[in-house]
Amino acid sequence: MKTILQAALAIGLVASPATAAELTVLTAGDQNMVDYINDYLGPLFEKENPGNTVRVVGTGPGDAGSQKITERFKAQADAGSQKWDTDVAVVHEKFAGPMVTAGYLEAYRPKIDTGKMVTRANADMALGSNVSGYVMPMFNSQTAIAYNPAMVPNPPKSYDELVAWAKEHPKQFGYNGIKGGASGVSFVMGWIYAYGEGDAKKLMNGPFDEAETKKWDKAFAGLKEFTANATLTPGNAGTLDMLSRGEIAMGPVWVDMFYSWQADGRLPPELKLVLPAPGMPGQPMHYVIPAKSPNEALAEKFVALATSPQVQAEGIVKKFNWYPGIDAEFVKPKLDEATWNKLFVDISPEDLAKYGKPFPIAPYNNAILEAYERQTAN
Amino acid sequence: MSKRLLGLLLVLPALAVIVLLFIVPLAASVVGAFEVEGGFGTGNFIKSFELYRADTVFTVLIVSLSTLLIGLFSIAIGGYLTLGENPRAVAILRWLYRWPMFIPFIVVGQILRTFLAKNGLMNNLLIGAGVITPMQATAFLDWRGIVIAFVWKQVPFVALLVAGAMASIDRGTIEAARNLGASRLRILIEIVVPQVATTLLVGLILSFVTMMSVLSVPLMINAQSPTMLTADIAFRINAYGDYGVANALGLISLVITSGVAWIYLRHTMKERA
Repeated sequence: MKTILQAALAIGLVASPATAAELTVLTAGDQNMVDYINDYLGPLFEKENPGNTVRVVGTGPGDAGSQKITERFKAQADAGSQKWDTDVAVVHEKFAGPMVTAGYLEAYRPKIDTGKMVTRANADMALGSNVSGYVMPMFNSQTAIAYNPAMVPNPPKSYDELVAWAKEHPKQFGYNGIKGGASGVSFVMGWIYAYGEGDAKKLMNGPFDEAETKKWDKAFAGLKEFTANATLTPGNAGTLDMLSRGEIAMGPVWVDMFYSWQADGRLPPELKLVLPAPGMPGQPMHYVIPAKSPNEALAEKFVALATSPQVQAEGIVKKFNWYPGIDAEFVKPKLDEATWNKLFVDISPEDLAKYGKPFPIAPYNNAILEAYERQTAN
Repeated sequence: MSKRLLGLLLVLPALAVIVLLFIVPLAASVVGAFEVEGGFGTGNFIKSFELYRADTVFTVLIVSLSTLLIGLFSIAIGGYLTLGENPRAVAILRWLYRWPMFIPFIVVGQILRTFLAKNGLMNNLLIGAGVITPMQATAFLDWRGIVIAFVWKQVPFVALLVAGAMASIDRGTIEAARNLGASRLRILIEIVVPQVATTLLVGLILSFVTMMSVLSVPLMINAQSPTMLTADIAFRINAYGDYGVANALGLISLVITSGVAWIYLRHTMKERA
C-alpha cells in the first residue's frame, strides 16, 4: 500500500511541471457567467499562456453567489491559511466593499495596464465603500422596463406614467417581487428613488442615517397598492417568460438578459426597452484577486486579458450584450458600428447617463428590502 | 482487545459522522437562532413573527393540504391495484404511477412552471379542446401550483408503501367482505384502509417532512408573497447574510415537523398500550 501511495505521489509530482498552473476562478451570477469563462475567456487565456489551465466554479445566481464567495474567503482568513484556493473571483458590487474592508483582497489595479482604462465612478466607490485599486469592472449592467409595443403603444417615460398605465391595465405589469432576483429588487429601489420622501442621492452615496429609513412609509403604501394590481412573476427569467407568452405587457428586466434572449429567439423580436425617469439601478460585476492567491502573477494576467479592449469588445459587448467595464472610448474602435449600436437601440447613451443609477449603499439596500417585506409583502 | 472495546470501535465512525454532520450543525443552528447582537435573546423570533407570520401559516396550510391530497390519491391508487378487476388497467397503472418518484423536485418545478402558466401547455390544450375560452384561462403559478407539484411528486412514494402494505394483508378479509356483498369502495374504506393505516401514516409523515424542506418548488413556482418558509430562509441568508433569523425560521419549521412526529408517536404508543 505504502509503495503504491509513494508511486502515485511521485507520478503526480513528475506530471505537473512547476511552470504549469491551474487558475481557479470563482464566479457569482447566472449560468451565462460560467459559460462566458468556460467557452470564451478560459480557452483564450489558455491559448495565450500555454500549459496553464483555467478552472471555473459557478457559485450561483444573485447575491447568494457572492455571499458564498465572501464566506469562503472568510473561512480561509479565519483559519489562517497561507495559500487560498481561489485566484480570481467575480463578485457583485455589494460585496466588493466588505471584502476590501475585511482585507481579503489585493490592490492590483495599478499593477496592470488596463487599470488606467477604467473611468466610471462605480469602480472607485462600490455602494459607499472605497474600493479604488482593488477591483476591475468586468462589465456594467442595467435594468430597464421591457414592454410589448403591440399592447403598449406609448411606453411610460417615468414612474408616474407607469403607475397610471398599470392602474388602467390591471395585472398587465409584472415584476418578480424581491425574493426572485435582482430585476424586481431594482424596480423597488427605483420606486423608492422616485417616491421616497428622503434624498435619493443620499441613498446612493451615503452616509447611512437611521432617520432616512423612516421616510419611505408613503412610498411603500403606494407600492402595496400598485403590487395588488400587478402580476408577480417567478424570477428574472419568469418575467421574460411571461412577456414572451403575452401574459404581461410590461415588466422590469436586465438589459443584457433581454438582448441575449432576443438574440437566441427566446423573446419575440418586437419587444422593446425603456428606462423611465427618475431612473432604475444597474450594477457592475467586479473582478477581484484575493490577497493570498496562490498564482498571483497569473491571476493579474488573467484579469488584464479579461479587461483588455479586444476582449471587452468581442466577449462582453458582442457575445454577451453587456455594457463594457472599461471606458467605452477604448472599446468602440474595436467594433463595427452596427454591433456597437445594437447596445443602444432602445436606450440611448444620453438616457443611460441620465437614468442609469447605482443601487443604494448596502445598509440602505438592506433597510429598503426589509421595509418592503414589512410593509408591502405582509 | 476485548470484544466490547472492539464493538465500540466499530460503532465509532458511524457515531462520529452523526455527531459531526448532524448533531453539531443542529446544535449550532439552535444556538444561532437565539444569538442577537451582543448576546442572546429572542430578537430573531420577534422579527420572524413580525415579517413571516403569514408565510408560516401559509406553509402549514399548503403542506397539510398537500398531505391530505397525497393520502387520498395514494389510497385510490393502492386500492385499485389491490381490488381492481381489469388486469390490463391494473398493469398499466402499476407501470405508470411510480414515474414521478424518480424526478427531482427542481425538475418538477421546471416542468410545471411552463405547464401551468396562463398561456402554458395546460391552458393551450384546454383551449384547443374547446373546454375553456382564452379569456377564462388563468395561471396556476401560485399556491395551487405548489400543491400540484407536491402532490404529483409525493403520491407515488406513499402509494408505493401503501400498495405494498395492501398487498400483504390477509386476502381472506377482503374475500369474506365480498361474499357478504360489500361494494369495492366499502371494502376499501372499511376493510383495507384500517389495516394499512400505520403504513399510510408513516408515508404521509415522511412526505410532510420532505415537503417542509423543499426550496426549489416554491422558488420556481411562487416566489411571491406569501411564500413558503424555505424561500424566506434562503432570502434571509442571500440578501442580508442574516443567519440569526434564518436559524429562527429553521427552528420554527423544526417545531412544526416535530409536532407532526409527536402526533404520530402518541398514536402508535396508544395502539401498543
